[in-house]
Amino acid sequence: AVLCISGGLPKPTNITFLSINMRNILQWSPPEGLQGTEVTYTVQYFIYGQKKWLNKSECRNISRTCCDLSVETSDYEHQYYAKVKAIWETNCSKWAETGRFYPFLETQIGPPGIALTTDERSISIVLTAPEKWKRNPEDSSLSMQQIYSNLKYNVSVYNTQSNRTWSQYVTNHTLVLSWLEPDTLYCVHVESFVPGPPRLARPSEKLCVRTLKDQTSAVKV
Amino acid sequence: GLRRCLISMDIHHIEETFQEIKKTIQAKDTFQNVTILSTPETLHSIKPLDVCCMTKNLLAFYVDKVFKDHQELNPQILRKISSIANSFLYMKKALQRCQEQRQCHCRDEATNATRIIHDNYDQLEVRSAAIKSLGELDVFLAWIDKNHQGPSA
Repeated sequence: AVLCISGGLPKPTNITFLSINMRNILQWSPPEGLQGTEVTYTVQYFIYGQKKWLNKSECRNISRTCCDLSVETSDYEHQYYAKVKAIWETNCSKWAETGRFYPFLETQIGPPGIALTTDERSISIVLTAPEKWKRNPEDSSLSMQQIYSNLKYNVSVYNTQSNRTWSQYVTNHTLVLSWLEPDTLYCVHVESFVPGPPRLARPSEKLCVRTLKDQTSAVKV
Repeated sequence: GLRRCLISMDIHHIEETFQEIKKTIQAKDTFQNVTILSTPETLHSIKPLDVCCMTKNLLAFYVDKVFKDHQELNPQILRKISSIANSFLYMKKALQRCQEQRQCHCRDEATNATRIIHDNYDQLEVRSAAIKSLGELDVFLAWIDKNHQGPSA
């Protein structure tokens, strides 16, 4: 490693883990006053209870302000620390360190997959639990439901005609909304939820579907 | 067979209380290379049959040792810790009743895991050990939440 004068630069700021479905990205902001300059960064991580800081070779002397540590922090029942320092010419900053990161309690649970089918007065919703991040697409999938057996979904439904919205918590993966208005556009979005310490939520995209026209009134004509 | 003794208390309220002081407490723990709960050898090796005894032992560990050894100057943090301590006291008594009804049997697995935790604690200076144990409350609470789900006793 190139020697540098430690403390010659201010530390990177806002260092935190952004974690969604156990994909754990370390991110930070450039040191004060050094935005736009050719600063590079080096990252290390630490497994709580282990003996020493470990290098992340793909995040040595990088110019971006993020580093994917998903592989290194994949055991979600362990806790971790990470730190980053800034380097510019022969100067470098002291390390900026995260707090203790506990993926099991802190990862954001992504939204489920949603499939809607409709008839005149009801909409059937089928939810697919979000999947844990995996290193390779061909690796076997692990549903977040298998990690959080108490995973629930907050389903919000919006009637675009009456401007009314209602929501309900469900635990199973199929739901039928009944007593709806025919020939009406309804929009649905769903948020995954795990009871316990508060965690940021990731609502799904809004999905809209129109109920069918009322066949009985069509026959009278 | 031995009916599992389940805690019916709302663990999530305790988790939320701890969440509010977690960063401050964990920041005071400067020994990152040591843990007290050592989960792989202790909590993660506990079978359903030993959950009750392990829970009772760890509640006693926190009530009788950690909360007593910890000295907190910040009144807000002290209030939160006291709230958690009272909840633990309540749960400890609930499991004590379970034991009196012979439904909280302690096997070697739970006893050995508990000893590892006490040994870890005793290897540190007492204030450091207490602050570290407090900083690991999220691990213990998550373990309780995971293992005490289901219809209460």
